[in-house]
Amino acid sequence: MTDFAMADLGYVSLLLSLILSLYAAGAAFYAARRKRPQIFASARNAIFLVAAFTTLSVGVLVSALITHQFRIEYVAVQTNLAQPLLYDISALWGGQEGSLLFWAWLLAVFTAVVLIQNHDKNQELLPYVVSGLAVSEAFFLALLTIAADPSIAGFFVALPLNPQLAGSLVGNPFRMLDFTPPDGNGLNPLLQNPGMFIHPVTQYLGYVAFTIPFAFAMAALFTGRLSDVWIRTTRRWTLFAWLFLSLGLLFGMQWAYVELGWGGYWGWDPVENASLMPWLTATAFLHSVMIQERRGMLKVWNLVLVMLTFILSILGTFITRSGVIQSVHAFGVSSLGPWFLAFLALTLLSFLYLLFNRVDRLKEENELDSLISRESSFLLNNLILVGAAFATLWGTIFPMVSEGITGKKVTVGAPFFNQVNGPIFLALIVLIGVCPLIGWRRATAENLMRNFLRPFAVSVVAALALIAVGVREWYGVVAFSAVAFVLTTIGLEFYRGTLARHRQYNENLVAAAVNLVTNNRRRYGGYIVHIGVILGVIGIAGSSFYQVDTQANLKPGETVQLKQYTVQYDGLQVYPTASHDAVTARLTIFENGNRVGTLSPEKDYYTSPDPNQSQSTTEVAVRTTALEDLYIILAGFDSTAGTATLKVIINPLVVWLWIGFGVLVGGTLIAAWPDPREEHALVRARVKEALAQA
Amino acid sequence: MSTIVAPSLERASTIKAGGKLKFVIGGLLILGAIAFVTLNSFQSNAIYYLTLKELDAQRATVINQPVRVNAPLDKSSIQFDDKTLTLKFTLKDGDLVLPVVYTGVVPDTLGQGESVVAEGRLGADGVFQASTLLVKCPSKYESQPAGSSAN
Repeated sequence: MTDFAMADLGYVSLLLSLILSLYAAGAAFYAARRKRPQIFASARNAIFLVAAFTTLSVGVLVSALITHQFRIEYVAVQTNLAQPLLYDISALWGGQEGSLLFWAWLLAVFTAVVLIQNHDKNQELLPYVVSGLAVSEAFFLALLTIAADPSIAGFFVALPLNPQLAGSLVGNPFRMLDFTPPDGNGLNPLLQNPGMFIHPVTQYLGYVAFTIPFAFAMAALFTGRLSDVWIRTTRRWTLFAWLFLSLGLLFGMQWAYVELGWGGYWGWDPVENASLMPWLTATAFLHSVMIQERRGMLKVWNLVLVMLTFILSILGTFITRSGVIQSVHAFGVSSLGPWFLAFLALTLLSFLYLLFNRVDRLKEENELDSLISRESSFLLNNLILVGAAFATLWGTIFPMVSEGITGKKVTVGAPFFNQVNGPIFLALIVLIGVCPLIGWRRATAENLMRNFLRPFAVSVVAALALIAVGVREWYGVVAFSAVAFVLTTIGLEFYRGTLARHRQYNENLVAAAVNLVTNNRRRYGGYIVHIGVILGVIGIAGSSFYQVDTQANLKPGETVQLKQYTVQYDGLQVYPTASHDAVTARLTIFENGNRVGTLSPEKDYYTSPDPNQSQSTTEVAVRTTALEDLYIILAGFDSTAGTATLKVIINPLVVWLWIGFGVLVGGTLIAAWPDPREEHALVRARVKEALAQA
Repeated sequence: MSTIVAPSLERASTIKAGGKLKFVIGGLLILGAIAFVTLNSFQSNAIYYLTLKELDAQRATVINQPVRVNAPLDKSSIQFDDKTLTLKFTLKDGDLVLPVVYTGVVPDTLGQGESVVAEGRLGADGVFQASTLLVKCPSKYESQPAGSSAN
């Protein structure tokens, strides 16, 4: 196929998808209002066609990327002849147009999956759900096909057939150049890391999947069916989205840790914050829905949380993709920015309009009884999570706001975020221990004593032990003693449950523990997620409070000492590879005088005919143990003299952050695993709602 | 049985009367505390984000104060001492020139940077001591193919 044919096929598929999405949105809505099932069947078919056509379009773009059709501008910008196939494929989400297409494609496929899942369920909600999802899909497809650059043409959609206007299209991934370059630019070398293959994908899966619970929430608002049916129906979508947001955070942190070469994994950069904020509100949502399911309370709050998460996901993409905060361009100049802001404003306004119209149906079925109860502790957890999200949002977008209002740009960096979020997260950690053990409705003093006396004693002992071994920083002592408290509460919960089964069913202890988890997947999956979070906290606290570093300029044979490690520099090695020139420092590592291995931190030089495109990347070398990471950067070298300057960092306990994420993933999978109990609960909720409606 | 039920019912009704208020107050207290900590930390950590012109105009007041400067990078001025990891370069905007000194691991993107955001302090000697550098590339991880006319 010629490059022109490919571009036309890809573009026309998107255009057809746009038309079909708009049709599906209107038809599904009309079918629901006028009770015309056959029209809804037609909307369904349109949705399946959208999924098929966007898949075709993605297929075309990927094959153009792999076969280097450089006449297509996106291909020329994102790939070149030298880079490995892996990065040609990942170019699909490497640039703005491609990532919009990726988003639209995921959403189209998810929408089709929702239709299949609900073919015989939720028939009252489904048309509105589909309508909402199709509107969102149409927005992204419009950006890809007909949205013009507002800075050139205002809020204006360009007819693609008019060549004069085609140039002002902002998001078309199939835009053609008027010549065929012999080679493309290729992916920035900093992005040529396996992280590029996995981090954006997980992040986008998380962002896009949150559209599903939000669409159900909007449909519930619209129909006034505001029981917990929409929540229970989307429970696993929510978990799926949350899991991928978590994985997005994990892979982003790991990538930053090994690639950027500053010894950390989190810098409170606006783009990082953009991925943290929806995770925080989603976490709040996962908890607060339990209150609605169990007690019929917090209905408005849950709707608000799912709306916030959706909006923060879109905002996250907008911040990441538009470069509005980091870029030298002022706010609003970025070509896609106004479209995203308009979409956000419309979403927010229609949500608020519906909410105020339905306020009479959102009456709580129960009232809070006592300040010391499961409900209150969940509320507190929610306030804290949302508070952290807003504090982070404030610090992230304030520079833009202040410039807009006063003309002076004021900004904050990592110290602000650490100062605010440090205490907030510490309180959250303690709550992780407290929440699951407080009784519903009203906790008694006896309940509190029984559950908290031992964990509290353990945390005091842990604090004293830390002080005894010489830990003096109060922040560290408090954090680790909180960790001990939470781990003990969770451990006791498992122990009691296992023992009860062991006695009641006469199972051996291992079988009792396994059955305990598999028979209460949601609850114990949740506890396992909590353990993962706490392990992560151990890693964060260790590496934040106890990092030490040194640097040294060494001749071959010389050594540098940091705590128990001796790093011996054996010399430089310079060698070319297919895509770059590599310079590595060969190092031998001794721990307490014993040789434990070698490391070779590296600098890679990517040259290009255009000197402005030439770039270096830093490949750090890390030796990981359960206690600490030895992290070495080749910060400078003199290849004629053979000397090297090394930066050596000890990051205590970092590995526990990665292990914690692994445990979190395991716990989430257990909680999301199909569970007959949850199915029964959903059926009961449906029956209850049907009775209430009748 | 009735002797047990009666008092608890009574208690429930008194709780309902004053029930909502204490939750509202409690919630507001917590949100207030978070807002206070946020605004307070913001005040104590906020730093001006200046262009070279603004920095020059406010030279007297910002000396030795933490600031962030955003200015075009003069690439020809980059000097790096690989032994001490000392990086020197100048930021240049029209006639205004600001010498910057930074020590540490150099960001990989510096070579293709168009402008730099340097956070640090302006010394009395007119040299900017940077503690962190953020390099801005022509476009975030993207650029036009040489010689192309995209439209």
